[in-house]
Amino acid sequence: MLTRRASEQSIIRKHEEALHQGYRRWPTLDFGLPPAMGDERWPAELILATWLQAETGRPPANGLEYRVGRSGGGFDALDFRFLPPEQQLPESEPVDTSIPLNRRPGDRAVEIPIPWYGGGMSFGSVSEQIMLARAKAAKEWRTFTSTGEGGYPESLVPYRDHVITQIATGMFGVREETIQWAPIIEFKYAQGAKPGLGGHLLGDKATVAVARMRESVPWVSLFSPFPFHSVYSVEDHKKHIDWVRTINPEALISVKVSTPTDIDMVAVGSYYAGAHIIHIDGGYGGTGAAPEIAKKNIAMPIELALPRVHRFLLQEGIRDEVVIMASGGIRTAYDIAKAIALGADGCVLGTTELVALGCTRCGNCERGRGCPFGLTTTDPELSQLVDPDWGAERLSRLYASFQAQLRDILRRLGLRSVRELRGRIDLLVYRKPGDSDEWANVVGSGQAR
Amino acid sequence: MVTAGRLSYRRYRIEIRPAPDLVRLPPRFRVEVKKHRLIGLVLEELVRYRGDLPVVLSRPCVYGVFSRPIGGLAPKEELCVGCLRCTVQYPDVVQIYPNPERERLGDSYLKPAHVDTLLYEARTGHVPVRGAGYRGPFGGAGWDGMWTDMSEIVRPTRDGIHGREFISTAVDIGEKPALLAFDERGEPVGTVPKVITIQVPFLFDRPPRSARPRLLLEILVRAAQEIETLAMVPVDLVVRFDLAGPHVVPVVEEETWRWLVQLAWSPRMIAIEGWDRERLAELERRFPESILCARVPMDSDVLDLVRQGARVLHLTADYHGRRNGRFVMDLIRQAHQRLVDAGVREEVTLIGSGGIVMAEHVPKAIICGLDAVALDTALWVALQARFAGECRNPETALVSFPRLEPAWGIQRLKNLAASWRDQLLEVLGAMGLREVRRLRGELGRCMFQAELEREAFAEVDGYRADA
Ligand code: SF4
Ligand code: SF4
Repeated sequence: MLTRRASEQSIIRKHEEALHQGYRRWPTLDFGLPPAMGDERWPAELILATWLQAETGRPPANGLEYRVGRSGGGFDALDFRFLPPEQQLPESEPVDTSIPLNRRPGDRAVEIPIPWYGGGMSFGSVSEQIMLARAKAAKEWRTFTSTGEGGYPESLVPYRDHVITQIATGMFGVREETIQWAPIIEFKYAQGAKPGLGGHLLGDKATVAVARMRESVPWVSLFSPFPFHSVYSVEDHKKHIDWVRTINPEALISVKVSTPTDIDMVAVGSYYAGAHIIHIDGGYGGTGAAPEIAKKNIAMPIELALPRVHRFLLQEGIRDEVVIMASGGIRTAYDIAKAIALGADGCVLGTTELVALGCTRCGNCERGRGCPFGLTTTDPELSQLVDPDWGAERLSRLYASFQAQLRDILRRLGLRSVRELRGRIDLLVYRKPGDSDEWANVVGSGQAR
Repeated sequence: MVTAGRLSYRRYRIEIRPAPDLVRLPPRFRVEVKKHRLIGLVLEELVRYRGDLPVVLSRPCVYGVFSRPIGGLAPKEELCVGCLRCTVQYPDVVQIYPNPERERLGDSYLKPAHVDTLLYEARTGHVPVRGAGYRGPFGGAGWDGMWTDMSEIVRPTRDGIHGREFISTAVDIGEKPALLAFDERGEPVGTVPKVITIQVPFLFDRPPRSARPRLLLEILVRAAQEIETLAMVPVDLVVRFDLAGPHVVPVVEEETWRWLVQLAWSPRMIAIEGWDRERLAELERRFPESILCARVPMDSDVLDLVRQGARVLHLTADYHGRRNGRFVMDLIRQAHQRLVDAGVREEVTLIGSGGIVMAEHVPKAIICGLDAVALDTALWVALQARFAGECRNPETALVSFPRLEPAWGIQRLKNLAASWRDQLLEVLGAMGLREVRRLRGELGRCMFQAELEREAFAEVDGYRADA
């Protein structure tokens, strides 16, 4: 028995080691680009560049493209109008990357030193190890990660000051104490990848531990219905917020919504219901499993929603009282900066973090035992492929690289704080790939700056 | 559903059953193992793990590609899902390649990825679900430059697809006069409504000229019957193959007009190729009970045709969704809008075909203004047809089918229809609509990339609305 367990552990260690080596070796380009890796949104280069940043804490210097994908539009067609070198801020000039998460007077001031935090990934859709890695990185960087709709494993409790409790329609894992612990409560109304369709955890992933956490039956598929069947108006929504704030009066409230045609109205409604953060999740966001028809066709990409919301909130005179966080296809430091220039205060990261931990974007998360890299799985063996400390370090290094790039972008725009970038659409330039040779230099070469 | 004589309710659903591919597809990925390196790796690990065989022989692939008897020396490529774990771990031993043979499926419009999706739908009847987010280009030309709406707080939604709340996908095809007139005895006079209700907003178009074997037509007709929709069949073949039935729509052309005399039954709908008032009048005389549908090019002046008496129009484009260089999305919007502006849209049924090859194209075409779509190439791909070159022109496209087995073919089309219907429910549910009829022409419930970009990027230097 003991020998068998020893062998099992050796097997896991063997594969873990080989994987770690692979994450280091592929970005060297000694083997070229993996021919079957990548897609338009996440080309192989971008995946490898993210692995490399998670390894070194710096952007690649070997020509790997790390700023844009090849989707031909949105962030991939935008660049910055940098100042001539002599007008840029010098390296010695400090540049502030912090943002506030509350702009409402009277409520608790919360600030994060980097303009992003981790998005909801539930226990069940990812392993406990992944949740823990994310929570550790969030603590290290004094930012946040979110439980998603799956409850709060015990191991997360020490990190609770950095964990957002998500309340979604299935109410899975929502308990009085998880609300009391949370510095931020996130109401998930919709998810960009499957807007209007609710959530679905396949039976295979509802292990005994997951089911216990969700107070359900093991190995039975779990649906989070859409929408909240008790919310049909802004007033109903406010009732929800009041309920949560009765339990935890200190908590900030985030409202996660998708991007319908009337996203501007939704944002205003959320503000009047009392939200501190409006988290807008664009149609091209990540998911553990979603109908393909929804990912591609329902609701608009985040790039197109942000200017609409930003402008409308400005017109309504409430832009400075609410924080807009953008997600749904934020892959790089450049995407973060562009989203902010389009009107967000900051961003919420999901897939990028998984890529940093080894995701190849193969799309098999929901198949069989779940992710073969130990990410989106609850398989007891596969999930051991990710050690939480190793994962936390990788995320920390990715964050460091992103922060360095963000500072670099701000210096080259002559801005001393990321807060000055918000809504500065005038600092962007639109270049459809192939428009000019100049674009080839900006996007195609992949030269690190 | 209320049946004559007694009240009974049957909730509409399409029975799905697995219907595996008849023709084996090439695997999605090629798994290339450098055998000498693999042997070297095993030897190295034998030393390293001191002969602990379970450890040495444990393989990176969790999908069984390197399973017994000889593992990596003879990988089972058909099991590979392209996760890349093997090559991430051992880049010098194994490489994974997309299989170029898969790239030869379909044509330049109906691409290999579409073929993959259609075959999955026809095999299983399920909605394609995958992990990770969207992987494709940012919007794009044609249907890809259009997104459908969702609503944050309304029902019915996902409940619809799980059957707790009913979302209707039925549509009516036929003549729908705006007003009824009655005589002094209270009997309706003049034009009275004459409609066929089909349970899904899609029907089956006739196959291309190159492929009209009896078995294929029988499969289309039987599947249409079981799905409770319609199949369009050239009238000569209706007669020759004895394909009578309420789900058959004979299509008459100039050269097949003479076959009409042999049509010994009264179809619920007859389609005529082109616009010919005299011929339509004659059809009306001969088949007074039938709904008449004129198949006309999608860029026709629909308002003029309606003023001349047309009530059911089938607007056609080529299989790539083009008509005189314009894409169906714009042509449908234009046709719909003309009828709306003239105040006659409610009296007319617009069916459209061409370029509608994915489930999402159905709601998009309906939003643009169609009542129903007629499916073509997607059906044939579901039956594992192969195209020789471009499948674009209905007159000249070369399409070949495998040896068809009727029960299999019918099930494949039922599976496809069930999957597309469920996907339609997803789209309707996300919008909070209870019936597809309400989707027609609802341009407010969709977003066009060009318009959104104009709004979002107008102030961005270098953005050109016409780009
Ligand atoms: S299965 Fe794993 S590697 Fe593949 S997309 Fe999902 S998380 Fe990424
Ligand atoms: S790519 Fe994944 S599925 Fe294919 S052989 Fe390698 S490990 Fe197995």
